[in-house]
Amino acid sequence: MLQDFLQAYVKKYGFSGYTELRAQQNRNRAVMMLNGSLTANNSGTSRGLSARVVKGGAYGFASGTGYSDDLEAISRVVQTATSNAAFLDSRVQRGKPDFPANAPFVRKDGLEHDVPVEQSYLLGIVDELDSYIAERFPRLLSRRIFARVLDMEKLLYTSDGVISHSYVPRSNVYVFMTTQDKDGQPVELYDVMGGYGNFINTFPNAEDLFGKLEKQYERLILKAEGVYAKPGIQTVILDSDLAGILAHEAVGHTVEADFVETGSVGGPMFGKQVASEKVSLVDIAHTAFGKLAPVPVFVDDEGTLAQDQMLIENGILTGYMHNKESALKYGHTPNGNARAYDFSDEPLIRMRNTCILPGTDKLEDMIASVEDGYYFTDMNNGQADSTGEFMFGVPMGFEIKNGKLGKAVKDTTVSGVAFEVLKTADMVSDTVTWTNSGMCGKKQMIPVGMGGPAIKVQINVGGRS
Amino acid sequence: MKQTFEVKDKALLEAVELILAEIKAIGADEGETWVSRNALTEVYYELAKVSMVRTVFSDKVSIKLLKDKRKGSTTLNSFAPNDIRLAVQEAWQAAQSAAPDEAEGIAELEENLSFSAGEEKPDLDAMYGQLEQMLKDIRQDFPKISFDSIGIEHNFGEKLYANTNGVRLSDQRGVHQLSNMFIAKEEGKSSSFNYFATVYENPSDRVCEESRVRRLLDETQQQIVTEQFAGSFEGDVVITPGCLENILYFVADTYLEDGALISGTSPWKDKIGQQVASPLITFELVAEHPDLPGTSVLSGDGYVAENMPLIEKGVLKNFSLSRYGAARTGLPRSKNSGGTYVLGNGDTALEELISGVEKGILMGRFSGGQPGPSGDLSGVAKNSFLVENGRITKPLSEVMISGNLADMLQNTVAVSQERESSGYWLLPWIRVKGVTISGK
Repeated sequence: MLQDFLQAYVKKYGFSGYTELRAQQNRNRAVMMLNGSLTANNSGTSRGLSARVVKGGAYGFASGTGYSDDLEAISRVVQTATSNAAFLDSRVQRGKPDFPANAPFVRKDGLEHDVPVEQSYLLGIVDELDSYIAERFPRLLSRRIFARVLDMEKLLYTSDGVISHSYVPRSNVYVFMTTQDKDGQPVELYDVMGGYGNFINTFPNAEDLFGKLEKQYERLILKAEGVYAKPGIQTVILDSDLAGILAHEAVGHTVEADFVETGSVGGPMFGKQVASEKVSLVDIAHTAFGKLAPVPVFVDDEGTLAQDQMLIENGILTGYMHNKESALKYGHTPNGNARAYDFSDEPLIRMRNTCILPGTDKLEDMIASVEDGYYFTDMNNGQADSTGEFMFGVPMGFEIKNGKLGKAVKDTTVSGVAFEVLKTADMVSDTVTWTNSGMCGKKQMIPVGMGGPAIKVQINVGGRS
Repeated sequence: MKQTFEVKDKALLEAVELILAEIKAIGADEGETWVSRNALTEVYYELAKVSMVRTVFSDKVSIKLLKDKRKGSTTLNSFAPNDIRLAVQEAWQAAQSAAPDEAEGIAELEENLSFSAGEEKPDLDAMYGQLEQMLKDIRQDFPKISFDSIGIEHNFGEKLYANTNGVRLSDQRGVHQLSNMFIAKEEGKSSSFNYFATVYENPSDRVCEESRVRRLLDETQQQIVTEQFAGSFEGDVVITPGCLENILYFVADTYLEDGALISGTSPWKDKIGQQVASPLITFELVAEHPDLPGTSVLSGDGYVAENMPLIEKGVLKNFSLSRYGAARTGLPRSKNSGGTYVLGNGDTALEELISGVEKGILMGRFSGGQPGPSGDLSGVAKNSFLVENGRITKPLSEVMISGNLADMLQNTVAVSQERESSGYWLLPWIRVKGVTISGK
């Protein structure tokens, strides 16, 4: 747990102008086993201090790796940030006033999750999973298991009087299996498990995961014996993984206020119909459907108390994600989207837990409604851009013929323009599933949660003719 | 500059000596460490203005130790003796629980050397001036361009590798880097985003005088209003240098590097000495090059990297294997397992390369997932243009390509005389035939 040396600093030196002072510790663990050999066995800590100072609208930022009771060291970081702000202010001379002050508050969130986990515990789980796979699944060409821990702890003091101490743990196990198809070509499928929580609580034993391994192997064999999808516009049910990444990559980024300012498609579409009225999209701060969201943010790194941000309501684009500066510019309320990954990173406008809200349809009815199309169940990486044009990898899915699931489908892609695709959504399932393994890249990486129900859409499939 | 081993920052030397002493004292058979100290200065542009000056001081330490071929490793960002002792203990505990792996080891002693390049101190005024000049030039010459972000950085650091075999290597380097993301917009319409990154030595350089930068900005301005086409056809794809870097990354990862060879999934695993690509392809990993200040002279596992061909005139010459990958596969360790790519230029002028396309596309950026182990590739051809009867006719959107990486290398029918450099790659345009191109 980070000790609070900032209180003594603030008591002694106070703040001169708008300042955010943050101590942070990211703890990582990684264990990877490839075909029974340990290829990674690492633990690490990144700990340090940063200060961000705003003068006349110009930001100065500085960080250093030392974080201790050496108040002079803390002071040097603040002074460097102040000097950087002064340099830029002298050049740009914007003369802007400080941000409106937040009401002061003190919060502590998630600190009870700071439970020590030994590296040997991760090794034990990975080893057991590897042995199980090696013994049980004869048709594999290779197997790879990757256990990862990322625990982020932040202690923030702002010149507004906000004090926030938070701890957000994440634990995942990835399993990659590769077999061969009838032509000898390798075919791969991966699954990821876990999410919010420390590793011991998330994975109390390996046995609980064996069922998922069996299912994954079964699906891999189906995929190896599967067919290629037909290219072109198809009726497709995107399961929650794909609906979640569509919401995040293809819609979420276009409604981040910095991207809107640049000229993303989210700008001119504000207040307009961008999706079927069955679609509502929200960036959840910390709690959804009565439970903690995958990546809970209670206070962001500018000291804003986090609230949910509605983005699309019944198909109408109604909101953007903001930091303090962009919210002021657009006349909106900041809801806690300014997030930094490491102690040396400045807060950027980021998503937290983007989620399409559930509808009323049953998945089986959705499948039954498709005469000729696909049910895509898994996703791998995806990309999107300012126009809302996107492409996602689909490593697993099934044909749908006359309302029934058919053969498995080999690797394919889906692509399109998000708002056009979402306008075709005519069925939305009643069950939301979250994923909590994704890292979003935008100057810095940041953990995000993605969720959604299954949605039925018309979408371009990059299959083979 | 290469010289006998000498470390400028004595704190680094003290840290590695303590780490190696602790590794021996705790009972490990072997151990290695990387220690580095960096100062990064950045001038940053976002929300339509120069917004921030940022200074990051960072110390980094990584430690690996082996006991009976059992590995434990840890990272931290402190040189404090107590933190180092705790980190060595943590690595030791991790090693206790690990299974032995005969392929594990550390670099052998060859020659202890130090390298240095670039400026130590940032010139903040020059960096700010360069950003201002760049914005002024672009507003004047490319008025439809809108930047999401621009970062101009100076990064100076010294890093030191040491191990219990007596290896000592260091590299002290100051480089400038410019990175950004932008779109073009006009009358409520906007293009796809685009970007470029450049590593360079002089912060007074005018970025917009670089032909690559002007080409990218110009092409993006032409992408505001695009067209789609229906159906699919088999045609030629002209891959631009920046996009080619992305494709070559996939090639290296899928066929040539540790993961694919250790797992046995690489279809090229038995093909050293065989033709795997068109004779027009010569693909090299580079450690030192006069036009590439972004190269890395030290490999991650403690060797001095050398220039090394992967593919020469289409023939597979080397894999890109680390010491560990080599030991696991029984193949020789590569002289370079890094990622600075150079593709030899061809004898076809770019204009001629494009004029030879009957029907196809010019692809500026590939947006797609990592190919599977077979190399099957499918994704969106971003920032692309239709090429018909040897002429670039219109900007496209929502166009996908699909094919196979190995097939694409075999089906490369032309390589341009011209090459572009980002400071960390040097690549030409290539023309690939027989790629499936599909529209909406």
